[in-house]
Amino acid sequence: MKRGSVSAIINLVEPWEALEPLTTSRPVGTLPFGGRYRLLDFPLSSVINAGIQNVMVTTPRSGRSVADHLRSGRDWNLDTIRGGLFTYPYNDLKLVSPEKKATLIHHYYDNTILFLKRSHSEYSVVMSTRNVGNIDLKALIRYHEERDNPVTTVYKSVDPQTLTPANTILQLTDKGMATAVVPAGKAKLKATTKKAAKNMDIYLMSTVDLIDSLQEANRRGDLISLEELMKQAVIQHNANAFEYTGFYANIHDLASYYMANMAILNEDNFRALFYSSRRIYTKVKNEIPTFFAQGSQFRASLCGTGGYIEGQVDHSVIFRNVLINRGSQIKDAVIMQGTRIGAGTKIENVVIDKNVVIGPNLVLKGRPEQPLVISKGQHIFQQAEVVSSD
Amino acid sequence: MNNEMLGIILAGGQGTRLGKLTKDTAKPAVPFGGRYRIIDFTLSNCANSGVNTVGVITQYQPLELNAHIGNGASWGLDDLNGGVTVLQPYSSTEGEKFFEGTAHAIYQNIEYIDQQNPKYLLVLSGDHIYKMDYDAMLAYHKAKKASLTVGVIPVTKQEARRFGMMNTDETDRIIEFEEKPEHPKSDKASMGIYIFNWPTLRDYLVKSYATDKSLEDFGKNVIPSYLAHNESVYAYAFKGYWRDVGTIQSLWQANMEFLSPHNRLNIGDRNWRIYSKAQVLPPMFLTDTSQVNNSMIVDSCYVAGEVDHSILSQRVSVGMGSRVVDSMVMPGATIGKNVVVDHALIGEEAVIGDDAIVQGTPTEIAVVGYNEVVGVQQP
Repeated sequence: MKRGSVSAIINLVEPWEALEPLTTSRPVGTLPFGGRYRLLDFPLSSVINAGIQNVMVTTPRSGRSVADHLRSGRDWNLDTIRGGLFTYPYNDLKLVSPEKKATLIHHYYDNTILFLKRSHSEYSVVMSTRNVGNIDLKALIRYHEERDNPVTTVYKSVDPQTLTPANTILQLTDKGMATAVVPAGKAKLKATTKKAAKNMDIYLMSTVDLIDSLQEANRRGDLISLEELMKQAVIQHNANAFEYTGFYANIHDLASYYMANMAILNEDNFRALFYSSRRIYTKVKNEIPTFFAQGSQFRASLCGTGGYIEGQVDHSVIFRNVLINRGSQIKDAVIMQGTRIGAGTKIENVVIDKNVVIGPNLVLKGRPEQPLVISKGQHIFQQAEVVSSD
Repeated sequence: MNNEMLGIILAGGQGTRLGKLTKDTAKPAVPFGGRYRIIDFTLSNCANSGVNTVGVITQYQPLELNAHIGNGASWGLDDLNGGVTVLQPYSSTEGEKFFEGTAHAIYQNIEYIDQQNPKYLLVLSGDHIYKMDYDAMLAYHKAKKASLTVGVIPVTKQEARRFGMMNTDETDRIIEFEEKPEHPKSDKASMGIYIFNWPTLRDYLVKSYATDKSLEDFGKNVIPSYLAHNESVYAYAFKGYWRDVGTIQSLWQANMEFLSPHNRLNIGDRNWRIYSKAQVLPPMFLTDTSQVNNSMIVDSCYVAGEVDHSILSQRVSVGMGSRVVDSMVMPGATIGKNVVVDHALIGEEAVIGDDAIVQGTPTEIAVVGYNEVVGVQQP
C-alpha cells in the first residue's frame, strides 16, 4: 500500500455510562485491558500494522488520559515526518455546555473535514475502541476495492444468545450485503438463527465520500456522532460486510469488560490476540521485573512487570506494579496498575481500578455476571467500606 | 556544547572470559537481570547524572549493541543538546582507527571529543553493575582541583590481587599505583571510572602518539605517567553496590544477588531508575501448572513448569514438568518439557530440548551459548 493512501479516525466518543465507575474520569478508549494495554491500543495497532500514518483520535472531553497515553505517538511510530497523530477534544455533546453547543451548529464536523482534506488519502477507516480485536485492515481495504458498495462494514459472527439489547448487529442480505445497523433488541432474528452479525463499529469508505457526507451533515446542522452518520451511510447506500474471524470481545458494560479480561486468560485467545503477525503496541514503560516471592502461587494468570507477588493468584489479570501481600487469595479478578492488596485479604470476581489500596484481612467478593468494582485511588481498610455488588 | 562533561563508555572489549556468551556479541550487550543489558547501568547513570552527551566506543561485535542503543531515546538521551553517538573504528588517511588499550581508544576518537569540546572527560566501562552519580564525582574533582579523579571501591586483600590498586595520602591524593599487587598497601581498587581535565589528557595523548606511543592503557600507562609528572590525581571513594561482571562466575553471582529483595543495588528505587531499550511485548503468562518461587519474570514469558530462585528474561518459555533452579535465562530462550536447568546461564534464543539436563554447580556454572541447541534429536 502506498504511503499515505489511507487515513484513520479512532472515535473515542462511545457509550460510557454502563461502565461507570471505571469511566468516571476516562473515556472507554483508555480503559486498561489485558495486563498492560488500553482499549485504544487495539484499533491503533491495527492501524499501524496496516501502515496507516494519518491518524485522528477524537476525544469526548479534554482527554487528559488520552494525551498521557499517546503523547507524541512515538510508541506507535506515529511521530513521523508525514502525517502523524492528531487528537481533537470536546466531541461528546452530552458533556459540553448549551452555549458551546450552539456554536457547533454547522461546524461540528469541521475538524474532521480538515483532517481528512489534509491527509490527501484515498480511503478512510473509522473505528471505535469498545471492540477488542486484532484486525487486518489491509485485507479490509482489499475487500472494499473488490466490491461495489461505497461503504464497507465489519462484523463478527456470534451466537445470538450472547447479545444484549444494546449491542448492534448488521442486517445482512442473502448475498452478504449490509442494509442496516440495528440494535439487537429490535432486530427480527428467527428463533432458529444460530449466528448473528455483531457489528464491530468499523467503517471504510473513500475519503472524498466521507468528506462529502460530513459537509452535507454540517449544512443540515447535524449534531450527531460520527458513528451515527456512518450507520446512516450504511442504510443509504448498503454496505459490503467483511467478516472478522479472530479473537473478539465487545465491551459495553462492567460485566462484559470483566468477561473480556477473563476471556484472554484462555491460552488460545491470548495467543490469537497477542501473538499473531500483527503486534499490539502500547505506551512503553520502564518497569523492573516482577518478583515472585517464596511461597507465592501464581497460576493461570497474566502479569505485567514491576509487580511484587507474595500471595496466591488464580485465573486473574494483574497489571503493572501491583503488590500482592502474603496470605492473600486472588481469584478471577482484574487488578490494575499500582494497586496494593493487604495480607490475608480474599478477592473473587472483582475489578480493582488503578492505585487502590486494600487493607489486610478483608473479603471482596462479586459475582461473575456482576463483578464488584473498586474505583480508582480508593483506600479501603474496613470491611464495612466494602460495598457489596448486590 | 552545553554540557561541560562528556561521557565516553568503553564498550569495545571482547570479554573473552565470558566464553560462549560473547562469541557473537560485545560484553556490554550481554543481558542482565531479566530486562537489562549490562551497558544499561552505565547509560542510565549518565542520564540520571545529567551527562547528556555520551560517546560509546565499540570495536568487537558491535551489531547487537548498536541495535540496543539506537538513538538513545530509551534512556532519554535523544536530547536536543546532546545524545548518544556510537563510535566505531573507521579508516582515514592516518590509517584505520582500531585500538588496543583504553587510552588508545580515546586517542582514536579524539576528533569526536574535539567536536564536543568538553572541559571534562568522563571515562566509563560498559561492563559494571552499579548506580553512581557522576555529577557528585565531578563536584569532588572540581573541589580537589584535580587533573584526574579515579573512582575507587574498597576491596579485600584477596580481591586486591585482581585490581589496579591506588595508594593515597591523607587527602585522598593518589601517590602510587600498583597493578594487581601481591601485597596490597591499600584497599582502594580502581573501578575503571575516570574524570580527566580534557585539555591536559589531550596533550598527553597527542604527545605520546607523536613519539613513543606508550600511553596505551589508562591503568598501566596513563596513571603512572600522570603520577610521574606530578599531576594532581585523586581517588573518589564509591560506597555503593558495584560488581564487575566480566566472568561467567561473577555474572551469575551478580544475577543471583539481583534476585534478592534486599540487594543493595536497590533496582526499584524510582529516584535512580535503570532504563533499557523499550520493547512492547505482551504480559507474562503463567499457566495452572506453573510453580514460581523467589524468581523474577518479565514480559512475554510463558511458564508452565517450575522456576525457583531464577531470572527469566523477555520471551523465555519454560515447558511443563521442567525445573529451572538458581539460573539466569536470557531473552528468547526456549526450555522444553521435563528439562532440568540448574546453576546455569542460558544464552539468547537457545533451545533446550525435552528431557535435557543442563546441570552446573555453585563453583562451575553451566553455560549454554546464544542460539545453541541442547538435547534436541536431529531428524
